[in-house]
Formats: sequence, C-alpha cells, structure tokens
Amino acid sequence: MKKIYPKEKGWGSVFSLIRAIVIILGTSAVLLPFIYLFLNSIKPEFEFLSIPPRLLPSRIVMKYYSSLLTPESETLSFLYNSLIVTSATTILAVLAGALAGYSLSHFRFSSKIIAIAVFSILLVRFYPKITTIIPYFILMKKFHLLDTLVSIIIAHVSITLPFVVLLMMSFFRDIPRSVEESAKLDGCNVWQVFCKIALPLSTPGLATSAVLTAIISWNEFLIASSLASVNAKTLPIAVSAFITDKGILWGPMSAMTASIVVPIVLFTLLLQKYLVRGLTLGAIK
Amino acid sequence: MENGQVEISTCPFFAMSVYRDKRKVKSSKFKQSESILLVLFLLPTFFFIVIAQFYPLLYSVYISFTKWSLVKWKPIGFIGLFNYQQVLQDTLFKHAAKISLLFACIATPVELIIGFLLAYMVIGERKIIRITRSILIIPMTIAPVAVGTMWRMLLNTRAGLVNYLLQGIGITGPNWLATPLTAFLSILMVDIWQWTPFAMIIFVAALSSLPPDLFSAAQIDGASRWQILRYIISPLIAPITILVILFRFIDSILVIDIIYTTTYGGPGFSTNVITFHIYKQALKYFNVTYAAAASWILQIFCLSVAIVLLAYSGKLQEKF
Repeated sequence: MKKIYPKEKGWGSVFSLIRAIVIILGTSAVLLPFIYLFLNSIKPEFEFLSIPPRLLPSRIVMKYYSSLLTPESETLSFLYNSLIVTSATTILAVLAGALAGYSLSHFRFSSKIIAIAVFSILLVRFYPKITTIIPYFILMKKFHLLDTLVSIIIAHVSITLPFVVLLMMSFFRDIPRSVEESAKLDGCNVWQVFCKIALPLSTPGLATSAVLTAIISWNEFLIASSLASVNAKTLPIAVSAFITDKGILWGPMSAMTASIVVPIVLFTLLLQKYLVRGLTLGAIK
Repeated sequence: MENGQVEISTCPFFAMSVYRDKRKVKSSKFKQSESILLVLFLLPTFFFIVIAQFYPLLYSVYISFTKWSLVKWKPIGFIGLFNYQQVLQDTLFKHAAKISLLFACIATPVELIIGFLLAYMVIGERKIIRITRSILIIPMTIAPVAVGTMWRMLLNTRAGLVNYLLQGIGITGPNWLATPLTAFLSILMVDIWQWTPFAMIIFVAALSSLPPDLFSAAQIDGASRWQILRYIISPLIAPITILVILFRFIDSILVIDIIYTTTYGGPGFSTNVITFHIYKQALKYFNVTYAAAASWILQIFCLSVAIVLLAYSGKLQEKF
C-alpha cells in the first residue's frame, strides 16, 4: 500500500505535512459537533444564552438525562420500541436474506433470472421510498396494523433485505464447492448443508449484514414516522418532535439526540471491520 | 478486510459481476426434492418484498390515475392523467424540483471532491490512519434526524458553535436558518458533513484495491505523484466515481430527514425540497393521489438517472 505514495525528495515531507493538516481538520470537523452536543447536554440552563456564549459548562448537570428517564417523558417507551423494531428487523432480515442468498447462489436458475433478481434488488436502493409510503400506509390501515411495531418491522425488513441478500450471495459464492460436495456425499441434505456448513463458514457475512441492518433500522425515520402516531413511536420520531416547539429546548434536545447517537458511535468504532464492508455495498441510508 | 482493509469486491460492482458471471462453477445437481427446498428458501424474502415494496409500488401507480375519497378512504373512479397534469402545473412542485436539483448539483461534486481528497490522505495501515478512518465515517452512520437537530444547535445565531468559531476569526455569523439563502447553504453544509464520508469510504476501497506494482513501475519510469494520480489512478477509478456520483446524486435528490429537523422546508419555501413537498402533501394534507402522481414523476426521473449512470459505469469498467 505504501507504494501509492512514492518517495520523492522535498515533496514527500510537504505531502506528509498536508496530510497531517487534512487529517486534523477532518477529524475535528467530525468530532467537534459531537463534543458540543455532549457539553450542551450537561450544561446548566442559564448558560446556553449567556453573552458571550459559554462553551464549557461551569458545572455539570445530569438533569436532562434523568428527566428522560421519568415516566412522563415517555422516552423509555420510545427506547423500548426502537430496541424491539431494531432487533426484530435484524433477526428477520438476516435470516430471510441468508436463505434467499443461499438459494440464489446455489440453485441452477438461468443466469438471466439471477441478473433480473440482482438488478431489481439494486433498483430498490435507488427509488424514492416516498412512493411506497402512502400505499403501504393504506394497506396497513386495511389490516388494522397502523401504529403497531409489526407494520414498522415489516417495512424495515423489506428495505434492508436487498442488501442482506446481495451481501450473503457474495459470501456464499466464496465457499469452496468441494466442502459442500463432500458434506453431501456424507449424506447431508440441502438444509443440513446450509445450517452446518454454509452458515458457520460465512459468519463474517452474517455479522456484516446484522450490523448494517441494525443501523439502518435504528436510524430510519421516514417510514416509521408515517406509520406511528401514538404507541409505536421510535426514537428518531421522538428526536424529530423537538422541531415543532418554538425555539430550542437546548438541554432536553441535546440529551435526547445524544442518547440516539451514542450507541451508533460506539457501534461504528467497535465494529468498524464489519461495518465498512456493509457500507460500501449497502450505501447505507 | 484484514487490518481494516477494504475489498473492492464489496462495492456495488458486485451486482454487475454477477451479471457477467458465466457460471464457471457448475452447480451440483440437486435431487428434485432439494430443488424444491431451495426455491422455498426464497419465500420469506418474497413475502416481505411483495408486501412492502411491490404491492405498494403497483398500488401507487393505480391510485395516481384515480380520484380519491377522503371520506371512504379509497379511490372513486379513474380520472386519467388529471393528477399528473395537476402536479406538473403546480408552481410549488416546480419550485421544489428546482431546489432539489440545485441542492443535488452542488452537494454531489463537493462531496465527491472532499471525499476523494480525504480518501487519498487516509490510505494506509498505520494505526493512527486506521483510527482516523473509523472516526471519519461516524457522520454517515448516525441518524439523519439526529444530525439535523445537532446542526440546528450548531447553527444557532447566538449560542451556536459555528458562529462562535466565526467570531473567533472576526466574522459575525449570519442568522443561518432564518433567511432563504443561508438556510439553503445550511442544509447543503449538513448534507456535505454527513455524506462526504460515504464518498471517502468508497474511494478508500477503490484506491486500496489498485495493484501496487503499477505504482512502483510508474515511479521507476520517473512519474511524479501528480502524474500518477492524473494518468494512472484517475482512469482506473473512473467507473467507481460514476457510482459514487449516482449514489450521492439520487440520495441528495431524495433528502428529507435533515430538512425535517433543521428548517422544516422554510423559511417560506426556500428549502422545500421535492421529497419533503410530497411527504407533506401525502401525510399532512392527505392529498393522496397528488402525492402518488408526484412521487411517480420523481420515481421515473431517479430510475432513468440510475440506469443511465449504471450503464455508463459498466461501459467504463469494460474498457479495462
């Protein structure tokens, strides 16, 4: 990899200087907003609008976080909804996606059918989700599923599945056929080969799919907000609700935003290895 | 994937490689019962996609040609292209389309350029570089809704960090979200902050996959860094660049979450982007058939852009 940066006299050191500056600028552009958000969430109220503005709090207050935990704020129920939706979506999408990916990579479909399947999967990524929202809303109304977690979960599974299928297909194709053949000779049927050979051999793929799906579902706002009105609200909807108030409720808004952001930031830093592969394929949304 | 390295095979090109795959590996013959089982494997996926994608898509085509009764909450009779006519004559729709196009046409190249520069700077396996890469991708993984609220605070006139920093270099910052031009600049800034990492991460994957021999050969021939970048790297990553443009262009046309939480389309209609316009028509005014027709116009636009750029990118790739 080093070869991409050829060693040159003079230029080399200038280049590393530019590189260092760009890296410092880039990381601070990313991190400063988060630090600012965090400081806001522990700042006493009167300090938000003091002149000149005060960035560092004079003392630490935890009341915005603790007020999120009181029964009146309902945050706990939003959190509960978000956790249910995210985990159910992840499990269902990874299971269904692994099955479909295996089938598409192993069954003797004509290559035309596979191409059509892959192409339509790719197109799901590019069409405006707003088109399906109204009819889906009407459909769920018919089934009396409006404002339920089930309706949100089904929608989330359907938008994440295409990525999982593509990802799993690429992982299953990498498994040497000879391994599966010998398992078959030993008397395993398709289901057993899938469970005992293919799945264990593609755990990185499953992990990548799971991380990607979980993040998409946890962050998703458009579909959830169209379906949930009272009971099924998820965290992104709760965060978006702060816009309707006149002015900014600095403390609560910061604490709420921090609580939706922090898990994902940790996720990103800890699971970067799996995430990057998913992101480059799925082009997360 | 080892040591945080990214493979190019994971990029959307995979889809096309499947298409071109001449099935070199012959599938083993399955017994009939096993074939049935393999087809059954597709059923769960089929169920979800049909219920939440295909059916809604078809239904929205259908209602875009009908008159809608809010009382009965169902379509009452066909009215042909009337809804489409209404959408295309609507000045608000035209305005929203203009705003979105302008937004996408500015955001896409900016994200592309900064993303490439960042990628070029953060290739390598040193620990500090790897950590930098992890930090730089954070914006694109957090909820756009949260990004919006965060920036609403950052852009606050009196207490926001942006104006505070501007003050530091002697500039009095504007009232960002209150005037049409600055509000538009603000949403651009937010989008660029959140999605430049996407361009970066794809370019990192693309650059890492280039064969190192190529560079040492060029270097021996006396090529400078700029020449290597211009004549070797850029043609090689051209197809992937088209894909980045495609992803970023479509996604900026469809931006809605950050609009919802920063400006809510305002002030006036200055940041009333197309998806937000349709969203309000559908779920606030229950103008269902109008929204269906408008979203299909948007749909056709997006899909044609996608197909053209995908084909172009495939063609570029075939050259090599």
